[in-house]
Amino acid sequence: MITLDHITVDFGKRRILDNIGATIADGRITAVMGPNGCGKTTLLRCIGGLLEPTAGQVLIDGRRVQDFAARALAQKVAFVRQQVHTDFEFSAFENVLMGRNPYQKRLQNESQADWDIVEQCMRQTGTWHLRLAKPHEMSGGELQRVMIARALAQQTPVLLMDEPVSNLDIAHQLEIMRLLRETGKSVVIVIHDLNLALQFCDDLLLFHEGRLLYNGSMAGGLTPENIGMVYGVKSHMAEGRIIFDY
Amino acid sequence: MSNKSYKSGKANGWVMLGLSVLLAATMAVCSLFGAVDFTWDEIQDSQIFWQLRLPRVIMGALVGAVLSVCGAAYQSIFRNPLTDPYVLGVSSGASLGAAVAILLGLEAFLWGVGGMALAAALLTVLLIYKIASIGNRMHTTTLLLTGVCLTLLISAVISFLMVLNQEKMDSIIFWTMGSFGSSSWTDVWMLLPVAAVGMGVVLWYSRDLNLLLAGSEAAQSMGCEVEKVKRVLLVATTLMVAFAVSSCGVIGFVGLIVPHAVRLVAGPDNRRVVPYAMLCGAIFVLLCDTLARTVLRPSELPVGSLTSMVGAPLFIYLLYKNKKSY
Repeated sequence: MITLDHITVDFGKRRILDNIGATIADGRITAVMGPNGCGKTTLLRCIGGLLEPTAGQVLIDGRRVQDFAARALAQKVAFVRQQVHTDFEFSAFENVLMGRNPYQKRLQNESQADWDIVEQCMRQTGTWHLRLAKPHEMSGGELQRVMIARALAQQTPVLLMDEPVSNLDIAHQLEIMRLLRETGKSVVIVIHDLNLALQFCDDLLLFHEGRLLYNGSMAGGLTPENIGMVYGVKSHMAEGRIIFDY
Repeated sequence: MSNKSYKSGKANGWVMLGLSVLLAATMAVCSLFGAVDFTWDEIQDSQIFWQLRLPRVIMGALVGAVLSVCGAAYQSIFRNPLTDPYVLGVSSGASLGAAVAILLGLEAFLWGVGGMALAAALLTVLLIYKIASIGNRMHTTTLLLTGVCLTLLISAVISFLMVLNQEKMDSIIFWTMGSFGSSSWTDVWMLLPVAAVGMGVVLWYSRDLNLLLAGSEAAQSMGCEVEKVKRVLLVATTLMVAFAVSSCGVIGFVGLIVPHAVRLVAGPDNRRVVPYAMLCGAIFVLLCDTLARTVLRPSELPVGSLTSMVGAPLFIYLLYKNKKSY
């Protein structure tokens, strides 16, 4: 279980997150939603131990994130980031293999088990045929799926994902979301597609200007009123889907 | 497609063995040629061979190995294929430290010159790190310009020091050009332990170097203690560069050429690039130094000018190639 214990984050004079308190249940997919710049990525970085909150703390299974050793935390939490750095030409396979790092001893070569896990994760994300491809030979969506495979290879109970499906076509979006459901991991996902979130996510953390506006079940939170308040967009529900009025 | 072709991993034992044999053979052959040539029979009772030629050949190999390993490490730490200790001005910083040490008469102390070179080199690395990092990303242009400017500044300071101290000019010029002309066993015993420890540290962290290439935060998410690893590696590599420079001066571009050549053949995995570059770098500098002392016999070229004549065009080519991706 992830506990957000009254987290506040300031960047200089700007307050990004303001006193966020919530718990994220195990084995559920929690959507983090809100307009651009409302602190979603910052929240994920806090949970992943990449950023220490100005005030408050993040607990994973009752333990402060900052108290974990780097390797131990990497066995608990994996992070799929929005940007991918590709200056050096590691193949897709080598990239996914890096996800096995928290389990490997120094100077030790990868084991057969590592190879098998990498192959399995690449097959699950539909990237096995790309295993020899270099980053510049792949499309944005293909690269994104390789990065998801790398996070899966870390075999963590918690998966943090910052807009993992934004670059994907609809077929791959559905495939990844279905995969996330099947893994049974606790997934905290930043997602912009309201209907996709409604269909695949269990819980919702809805942000508005650095504050947590709603924390609860997906269906209860993504109402036309809340959407109007957060995004300033008019909508109504029809047959369980959100239809935008314009 | 063979099952092995996509599998990266540690250095191949056979490749390492082959390169080691090649290095030993190069050392053996190169030690025969110079201002005086030897045959195998003459070696045994030649003072020139045992006191001048052999330490010089060993220093060439050591410095080549050290510079190449440092280049490979720098390229991962700064996440930039165009960096090495020379391009970033760290070697120049070390040479300034050495020059100041000579002017202050610190040559009399065993670690005097090396210590000053180290202090100045560390200062240069710190400066570069502070100036060139914007957020947590180093921009290629800023990084390279910072290195170029620091190199220019340092060479200006060295020229200034030389004019003020004309009687010591010769020994300072030597540091800025790079040469193994005066290498002795003392140099070998000074550099050898530093090189062994330093290269050991880089090899130990070679998988972390791969992770650093994925970006600081990504590396941290995958269990790499980014800040600690960077600090340890920067100190270890700078230590090696400082001691290499304080014994044989600035030899440019080795750290750029060798890791690049290795990557072309062996791929980007640092667990292979670092050990292969170590051996290939030793062979490369050894060959360059042999050329430097034989082509214009009986006078000598500074080996640094030879490596730069190979390295600078390559650097320009890499800049041109990278233009498209930045």
